[in-house]
Amino acid sequence: MTTIDAAPVTVPGVSAVRAPLGRRRVIGGLTIVLGLFIVGVFGLGSAGNAHSVVTFNPTNTSASVPWSLGALTVLTRWWNVVLGLLTVAIGVETWVRRPAGALARFGAGGALFFFALLLWSVRQPGPAPIGNINLTSVLVNSSALIMVLIYGSLSGVLCERSGVVNIAIEGQFIGGAVAGAMVDSITNSFWLAAVAGLVIGALVGWLLALLAVRYLADQIIIGVVIVTLMGSISSYLNIQVLAPYPNLNVGNLPSNVPIPVLAKIPVLGPVFFNENMFFYAAIALVALTSFGLFRTRWGLRVRSVGEHPKAAESVGINVARVRYSTVMMGGAVAGLGGVAFIATQGQFQPGITSGYGYIALAAMIFGKWKPSGAVMASIIFGLSGYMVQNLQSSAVPINTEFVTMIPYVITIAVVAGLIGRVRPPAADGIPYKRD
Amino acid sequence: MSERPTTDVTAPVGNTVTTSRAQRFWARYSSTSPIVLTVLALLLGLAIGAVIIMVTSPAVLNAWRSSFHHPGSLPSAVKISFDNVGAAYRAMITGSVIDPTLLFHSLSSGQGWDQTMTPISETLTYATPLVIISIGVGISFQTGIFNIGANGQAILGGIGGVAAGSLIHAPSVIHLPLTLVAGMIGGAIGGLVPGALKALTGAHEVIVTLMFNYVCNALLIYSVTSTALQLPNQSNGISRTIDSTATLNPIFGVNSGLRVSYGIFVAAAVVVFATWFLKRSSLGFDFRVTGANPNAARASGINPKFIVIAVFLVSGGLAGLAGEVQMASTTYNIDGGFLIGSAGIGFTAITIALLGRLQPIGIVWGALLFAALGVGGRTMQAATGLPLDLATIIQSIVVLFVASPVLIKEIFRLRSSAETFQMATKGWSS
Repeated sequence: MTTIDAAPVTVPGVSAVRAPLGRRRVIGGLTIVLGLFIVGVFGLGSAGNAHSVVTFNPTNTSASVPWSLGALTVLTRWWNVVLGLLTVAIGVETWVRRPAGALARFGAGGALFFFALLLWSVRQPGPAPIGNINLTSVLVNSSALIMVLIYGSLSGVLCERSGVVNIAIEGQFIGGAVAGAMVDSITNSFWLAAVAGLVIGALVGWLLALLAVRYLADQIIIGVVIVTLMGSISSYLNIQVLAPYPNLNVGNLPSNVPIPVLAKIPVLGPVFFNENMFFYAAIALVALTSFGLFRTRWGLRVRSVGEHPKAAESVGINVARVRYSTVMMGGAVAGLGGVAFIATQGQFQPGITSGYGYIALAAMIFGKWKPSGAVMASIIFGLSGYMVQNLQSSAVPINTEFVTMIPYVITIAVVAGLIGRVRPPAADGIPYKRD
Repeated sequence: MSERPTTDVTAPVGNTVTTSRAQRFWARYSSTSPIVLTVLALLLGLAIGAVIIMVTSPAVLNAWRSSFHHPGSLPSAVKISFDNVGAAYRAMITGSVIDPTLLFHSLSSGQGWDQTMTPISETLTYATPLVIISIGVGISFQTGIFNIGANGQAILGGIGGVAAGSLIHAPSVIHLPLTLVAGMIGGAIGGLVPGALKALTGAHEVIVTLMFNYVCNALLIYSVTSTALQLPNQSNGISRTIDSTATLNPIFGVNSGLRVSYGIFVAAAVVVFATWFLKRSSLGFDFRVTGANPNAARASGINPKFIVIAVFLVSGGLAGLAGEVQMASTTYNIDGGFLIGSAGIGFTAITIALLGRLQPIGIVWGALLFAALGVGGRTMQAATGLPLDLATIIQSIVVLFVASPVLIKEIFRLRSSAETFQMATKGWSS
């Protein structure tokens, strides 16, 4: 296969050290493996007469669908074989042609894998369909998780683009969640709760920036300790304040804000256009961050401080000030994500964030320190995270522990360069000391 | 007090002529020695903890509210505030070190020593695995490798220990060392994954170990529900109990009620080994050189890839040993929540390693302090109803201050000395 040779990498963020063609071939190979897995396990592994039923009507009827979609009953085995072969075909095409959109094709293969897993998990022996999977509600429910991950990974992108490693995303989540739950319970307004989350998140970000930028402490250690600190403070407050005064933690949920007309599109409507305000805010923040970082003077400054603080300083940029403000901004975004937790789960409980801050960190790395990439990674991690919960509840004969590992193993594989190299901002995590 | 004139090397020369002895004393002790910094950090942590107690205790808040209406009751409000804080911290000390009334009773009557010594025994029991795991983390930090995955490695060590302790049957002489080694091997495997990935592909160890912690949690759930390790005829995720030949028994016998076990000798051995390893062994020298200056290490012929893998094997092995000791000295089995606390032993280990400035002896003191805070926190919870998490809050604040010594110096206006501890810092890309 020496006929086509490497054009220099044009994807920003991908190091040119490793030959991109080899990388694309690896991706193609992985897609083929994925497809064979679908064929073997999900397809041929299910009984010949097993059926899967997929329904599409939203369970949340607040967005009244203009027309209802019928249930789709399929033969599990042959549908999954076809889905698997389709994935194999995509993989073979990637392997042979090594196209620029290799990762997108891998993503398509992943989506097929996800759908095949769904079909397989609800299969029923015999022709009488009993259980079914509601595709719409699966997507709606995982969108809550995805939204939170988007907040967290955007926070990470902001901080790390300015050169400060934000391992404390989890801590900002927790702070925002506590503050959001209390403020919402007192004022019955999620707008004020969002403000409180922003403030608390920014304060935690300020603490990180103070210790990292001013006192040159190690950012990884500081981040880990801040997470422990916020976790214990929230647990302390829960026992000492929230438990005796339950009216401080009533667990309201914000109502959904359907967007006219669009919300009535089947499947897509409930997922994208009938969400609470935190979902829309997350989408807006992605666009805002992406535009801000790559199209404005402010973004150029932030990135220059993260890549080469000395050069930035030499053209008159105040490195410390830029880092302070960006880290506080990132903290505020993560704090808002903490309120979004409350907005989807109701009451605050210790451990409500259950390590999603760290997964958001992984999503940011998986997304190559870019807002758009972070969103894609959040979708993958969110879907697989939701699948874990779903599989556990539907008693599928698969070791859910191994499904639990998927996001983490993917992240490890990504960081190790098995699926594409990632390159962090050059000065990320290194305190800047003026001479 | 000796009359020998003290030559204060750190003080400016012009000052020493006119200063009194008290001033010289202050000059010496206000310089930033590691111990002074740590003690000040602890005091700050306790002070912030006191503020948290005050603003969250209903009794204190009510007292202050009434003092606004009746200014005359202001002194009583102050008194109530300090009484609350005092009761909490007193319970912390009596629960973790010694209770004076019990001690007096034991001294006068010669009885009840078991009860008197229980707090110390508990503190030692908690400190034992902390010492081992923190030394492992400290060794990795000294080499400039951030092993954030000690928690997962300890879990794997516990799994290995349970497997060897319950599936193999042998006399104690063979069985006990075997389970300890099995724990080490389990942890070393947990260290090998990030180590090998870093050495071979350059994957940053922080994110790999962070993610691997979750993989280990899932492996734990899997193993305690697997047919090989699950307690027979159990639907809950709980492992088999290890044979009595593999347990680390209480030193003073089961009947004494003192839980402190022979595990402290394992910890002592680890301290001796680590001290020798870092100071005297050639591999330890390579570790320290790599941590101090990776480029110089490479130039002098030290293979950085080998060092990375070796560090993770040593560090992970010690973490696994800690998990094994924890299991074999307290619960004798593991369940789905093994070592997965609110903070997790691996994260506590990071803070203790920092507190002990990565040195084995310092880590012993740090582990004792943290164990005392944790054990005392339990007594405080029972006595005053304040949540146990206060101990973790104080621990975290102490470490935040220790990790940024410049901050303490600014708060207390200390002069800097040559010996300032700061973690080597690096970003994702290295």
